[in-house]
Amino acid sequence: MSNTPRKMECEEAIRLVLDYLDNELTEIDHDAMEKHLHTCRSCFSRMEFEKHLKGKLHKVESIEAPQALKDRIKKMTGK
Amino acid sequence: MAGMQAGEKFFTENIEASLDRLYSAAMRLTRHPANAEDLVADTVTKAWSAIESLQDTERFLPWMLRIMTNQFISAKRKAEQKIWHEAYVEETEVEDAGFSIFERLHQPFLMWWGNPEQNFLDQLLGEHIEAALSELSEPFRLVVMLSDLEGLTYGEIAEAINVPVGTVRSRLARARGQLQKLLWQHAVDRGLVATPQVEADE
Repeated sequence: MSNTPRKMECEEAIRLVLDYLDNELTEIDHDAMEKHLHTCRSCFSRMEFEKHLKGKLHKVESIEAPQALKDRIKKMTGK
Repeated sequence: MAGMQAGEKFFTENIEASLDRLYSAAMRLTRHPANAEDLVADTVTKAWSAIESLQDTERFLPWMLRIMTNQFISAKRKAEQKIWHEAYVEETEVEDAGFSIFERLHQPFLMWWGNPEQNFLDQLLGEHIEAALSELSEPFRLVVMLSDLEGLTYGEIAEAINVPVGTVRSRLARARGQLQKLLWQHAVDRGLVATPQVEADE
């Protein structure tokens, strides 16, 4: 069996880019995506944009829990 | 997790550091401070009694969020005698499900005056994201929150909302398209991006 990654076209790369960033692709698809991104500047730019947008979402600040809730939880856990 | 005592010790030591994240998620789900507090308290009670089922202590917060989502969906089902019908969510046509901000902004050639994608990202603030999230329908808001904000895997989300992984994948794709459309609209409304001619012609 060949170890060469399968070929991926732009349409498929764009469809799978978020699964790639979520680390949810199979190994074969992941390798094919990496190979495609190395050779396609447009898809690479798309991936970078989605990655940064995802990073922005991940960094949305938490809302501080009210003191009353903190006290309630401390009481529940006996701390 | 090995042993009830070890579990309770771990729980007590880690719950405080997770409270802001749990409360934030509860606020995004319930959109009401008192309901959010109750949801967190119910989640903590449930998790405390189930601590032995926590398999990976590195995934404590995702585990808590899964319990919280289960609690939220069960409570809603009880209160409303219904929950969104999964088949309905999957079959409903979602306007703008394939929307892409990148496609709106990207220029195939480098421009001397800057990078529109980066400019967009630089101007995107947490409050804009919160506003767009709040406009998503509940099933969509849930999956985006669990995946993009909290970093749960598709498998963890599937367990939390009790649907197959394939459903999580497709729902997330549609939810993200809709979220991007909302973020785009907010940016246009605030004058942060120029409305391209093609949009005016649509």
